[in-house]
Amino acid sequence: MARFTPVVLRRYLFGGQLPGRGCLRQLRHRQTTQSLYSQRHHTTLVEDVDGNAAWKDAPVAFRKQLKGEKKLKKAQGKGKRSQSLEEWELTVGIEIHAQLNTARKLFSSAASTIDEEPNSHVALFDVAMPGSQPIFQKETLIPAVRAALALNCDINRTSRFDRKHYFHWDQPSGYQITQYYEPFAKDGYITLYAHDGIAKEDGDSIQIGIKQIQMEQDTAKTMSQPGDIHLLDFNRVGLPLIEIITLPQIHHPSTAAALVRKIQTILESVDACVLGMQSGGLRADVNVSVSRRDGFGGSHEYGGVKGLGQRTEIKNLSSFKAVEDAIIAERDRQIDTLEAGGVIEGETRGWTIGEKTTKRLRGKEGEVDYRYMPDPDIAPVVIGADLLHHLQHSMPVLPDEEINTLVEEYGLTAKDAMSLTSHDNGGRAEYFYNVVDDYMKLIPDQDLSTAGRLCGNWVLHEMGGLSHPEANEGNPLGITDTGDCLIKATSLAHLLHLLIGKKITGKTAKKVLAELFEAGIQNVDTGPEAIVDRLGLWYTPLSNREYVDMAKTVLDANVMEEILAGKTGKLNFLVGQMMRMDTEGSVDPQQATAVLQKLIKENWKS
Amino acid sequence: MSRPAARSAEGSIHRVLSHGLPSNAFIPNNPKSTKAGLLALSPFQRDFAIKDNIATTPFLTTCASRTLQWYQSPFEAGVVQELRQRGGSVAGKTNLDEFGMGSHSTNSFFGPVTNEPPFQGISVGGSSGGSAIAVATEQCGMALGTDTGGSVRLPAAYTGVTGFKPSYGYISRWGVIPYANSLDTVGIVASSTLLIESAFQCSSHPDSRDPTSLTEDTRRRIKVSLRRSKRRERERRLALGELGDPIIEEANSLVNLRVGVPMEYNIEELEPSVKRVWRSALEILQDKGATLVPISLPNTKHALSAYYVLAPAEAASNLSKYDGVRYGTRADGKDGAGGLLYSVTRGHGFGEEVKRRILLGSYTLSSEARDNYFLKAQKVRRLVQQDFDRVFAAENPLRPTQQFDLSNMDESIPMQDKLGPPQVDVIVCPTAPTIAPDLEDVSNQTPVDNYMNDVFTVPASLAGLPAISVPFTVPRGFRKLDHPNYAGIQIIGQFGDDLRVIDVAKRLEALRDARLMLSIFSNKFAANRGTLDLVRRLMQAEKEGDSVDALRALYLAERKQGAGARLQIQKIPGDGSSRPWPGTKRLSWNKYGNELTAPPTIRGTHECRDLRPKADAEIDQEFQDALDIWEQIKGSGGEKP
Repeated sequence: MARFTPVVLRRYLFGGQLPGRGCLRQLRHRQTTQSLYSQRHHTTLVEDVDGNAAWKDAPVAFRKQLKGEKKLKKAQGKGKRSQSLEEWELTVGIEIHAQLNTARKLFSSAASTIDEEPNSHVALFDVAMPGSQPIFQKETLIPAVRAALALNCDINRTSRFDRKHYFHWDQPSGYQITQYYEPFAKDGYITLYAHDGIAKEDGDSIQIGIKQIQMEQDTAKTMSQPGDIHLLDFNRVGLPLIEIITLPQIHHPSTAAALVRKIQTILESVDACVLGMQSGGLRADVNVSVSRRDGFGGSHEYGGVKGLGQRTEIKNLSSFKAVEDAIIAERDRQIDTLEAGGVIEGETRGWTIGEKTTKRLRGKEGEVDYRYMPDPDIAPVVIGADLLHHLQHSMPVLPDEEINTLVEEYGLTAKDAMSLTSHDNGGRAEYFYNVVDDYMKLIPDQDLSTAGRLCGNWVLHEMGGLSHPEANEGNPLGITDTGDCLIKATSLAHLLHLLIGKKITGKTAKKVLAELFEAGIQNVDTGPEAIVDRLGLWYTPLSNREYVDMAKTVLDANVMEEILAGKTGKLNFLVGQMMRMDTEGSVDPQQATAVLQKLIKENWKS
Repeated sequence: MSRPAARSAEGSIHRVLSHGLPSNAFIPNNPKSTKAGLLALSPFQRDFAIKDNIATTPFLTTCASRTLQWYQSPFEAGVVQELRQRGGSVAGKTNLDEFGMGSHSTNSFFGPVTNEPPFQGISVGGSSGGSAIAVATEQCGMALGTDTGGSVRLPAAYTGVTGFKPSYGYISRWGVIPYANSLDTVGIVASSTLLIESAFQCSSHPDSRDPTSLTEDTRRRIKVSLRRSKRRERERRLALGELGDPIIEEANSLVNLRVGVPMEYNIEELEPSVKRVWRSALEILQDKGATLVPISLPNTKHALSAYYVLAPAEAASNLSKYDGVRYGTRADGKDGAGGLLYSVTRGHGFGEEVKRRILLGSYTLSSEARDNYFLKAQKVRRLVQQDFDRVFAAENPLRPTQQFDLSNMDESIPMQDKLGPPQVDVIVCPTAPTIAPDLEDVSNQTPVDNYMNDVFTVPASLAGLPAISVPFTVPRGFRKLDHPNYAGIQIIGQFGDDLRVIDVAKRLEALRDARLMLSIFSNKFAANRGTLDLVRRLMQAEKEGDSVDALRALYLAERKQGAGARLQIQKIPGDGSSRPWPGTKRLSWNKYGNELTAPPTIRGTHECRDLRPKADAEIDQEFQDALDIWEQIKGSGGEKP
């Protein structure tokens, strides 16, 4: 499992409310709210007047909750559900909000920051001071357009900003500036493959349409205090977000989760997005509906897709698992309701981690009319052909393409290829290429896929297991985006060269790797040969005599009988025993097998 | 903190003049040096008042609203900074209709703007009523206001001062608290157009903090476009034989000015007095050689309705920031009291008219009404803009050349030639259909009746055009007792043509003054129109500090050359019985096409001129006469026009 630095963890634990400095005790006096649109139900109705609103249920002990869940699962019975799924088709559309990776806010020159002193990066416009005006920061277009291109969207050469009105204390101007009528990108698609983790029913790959991508402002951060007091941090207000709206073309919960995961990977790979979902930089709303498969499903139409059932919207899902679980819960609720003769209301629902059902937040009647209006102060955004051209040609290789190369040419498994590209912002893959290059220089005639597999195994698995108390927690290997690492690529290539040339054993190689890592942290310049020299671990093959002696100690009559009777598997058992006897790791399994076979044969003869 | 004057319902300028008695109306002016190399404000206008919806740092900025009654802006408006750099200093903040919403300056949290006689009990117009009355009562030489739908021009017309609304985007709105952003402009109120001209030149600069402020580049492009349009128009008129000979064109004559007279503005509600003023203003212009052209702006009748859909919609949006969380007054108790977030704070903080417009705006933007109101109104706005573009000879520099399909045009619009209706340089019309009404009458009106006052000012606002209101006194026989009998004449120009609008206003003002002097003194000079001109030139020379002797020498030289001798303008009867242009100077088909056969209803102009060659002594006598008149006028202290 990947490890996270405390900085990263802090952002999503307790809704990002953990103080960076000072005592944790002060937290006890603070209720927490989630970041990014948390508790946003887009209504002017005041929810907590009487304090019995839906999501304010009394907390349940975790253990008790787990028990309850188990019971519930048992009671539900699996057979019934799978049967009803044959009759009902689920349809899901997703809206994903991601924070763009920019230096400034969308409409002011205040810096975009994370975890700074509250209210330290706020421009006049951000807090809606009367008479202040928005100045569109055109640099924010760069990551936004990159994201849109990566998602195969058509870029609208002219797009406009609209005001979406609703009152909330985290929205200083009383409206959010977004792109409702003319977004900057539309009609894209994303292709999901089996290795992305889509549902089996979707086959090898599935294409999901993207209706549009729009730019909009983030809201302020609310810090709730006891006594119905809310403190506001306006550092986040006005930060640029993009909202990605898919078509309702998803029919399986796991595919929905895969889609969100993949969009995050893509946004990261093109450097469009600041933080991943776990850290609050990404958030999803899902629209769920079910309809009968027999064709008389529904009369609703969303995004040009017809024949759907009445949909409900689940807001504020902040993890992949939450997306999947919430969809399952809502699907089951809708099917149960419909089978019991009920009607699905068009409403907004909420879902909390660990729950098995979604909860109604508000119905249509509580819905705010957003009164969209073109913002009269902001000129249309015209994206020039030169910018588009430049961004198109400077696009990094997208994960899918890279995974393809890694599997086809470098002989990696899809799984390894996926993890290679997703680690360290793609730096791990860069490092991998460097190692393979250096390795191929040492052994030019070796097959690329063989070399790739070997290097991949070491870069991913052996190096993944390294740790050191002095290492950086988030990135112990110190891998940069460009593929530099504490362990130099040439060193690793030399090490593997020694291993493959049987100059050292595998065990030695691992030891040397750890030494190289240590040297890297201490900033000592050394190479694998020097380390092997120092430790005296050069591989000296055991003499035949030594093998025979060892073999004799592990052989006993019973085992021999069994092997002779045809249980050849026992032979490997003996080899294993021999290897275990040798602490230096210099037993060559092939030679050991040969010696054993010879001994058994001789014994049998005698 | 206490602000007694701000709370007084009486003062015209509320805070401003809070520093003492009326005689000591202004804060002592710290003598500020003008930044080197910049055009400076004239001494008469250095101390200027500012409408209280423009942010200033030493003063509070209240918008005359309870919600901002203690609001101290952390920054100063761009236009105020510009004027400060040019030697200006803020004399005070003036009262207004809350957030600029109103036509009589009565919707203020600090009480309505009222004043001493002759303005007691009389509407001073709105929403920049405080600014206008401050100038009218000579409490300051100049005042800044904001003009969204006529908020500067209307009060100027009611109080007898000059009010100017520049083209949208020429003066920075940074720091101007928005009512309806797409219509808001900073306007200038002053006692004469000369002051407005210098104030406009001092304050009209690009401001990178205002996204709607025109950049240096755009301004240059607009200038080039207007110059090109003017050249083309000149060539065309020359080819048609309409153009007065440029060589002998007198600097002060209006021979080549084509003045549009919009037929739609002659509405039923137009008071006879205002109609009379309009007519005499047109006569003055015509006397000086301008050509009057009846024009049609057919969408004018929808403009007011469109304005009262669009402005409240934007206002509802702009005013949603006043929730009392970050600034402004906040009601006691919880924000969520009453079940709706901020409903108590907002209900408490806004006045009735503001609430009315917020509700109106919220409704027209709602998904249910949007298509029927907001979108339709936007379309009307576009049509109003097209109306103007069609009648102005200069192309709108903001839009690509537009083709106006004759088949789409209202049948009532008269045609000039095959190309379409006649085109004009400026439009001259009344600023308001009535003179200042009694406040008592106003209070008996419904809000919708109130909105009627803006009927003539709103079209220029919707199109973003420059417009100026020049004050006239209502002629005898039409005057009301104990009433300020002023009516405004509005001059509207093409987008970006602000300086021409100001120029025409300047000339009209001078001609108005001259005519007034004439009526004051003697009719003996009436026959000799040259004398009038001369008096006016003397007056201007005095204002600009030029010497009389220089003018005398110039005049002698001009007359000797026999200026005007070769000027021949065909006299055309207004009944359409003769063709307006000489038939011999038709253009070839490929250039403009044939003129239509139907005689256009355009009235030509003519001028009686003394074509006799004159002796030096005679010319000298003329000059002396004029000088005598001027001395008399100066000596008499001058009745305010």
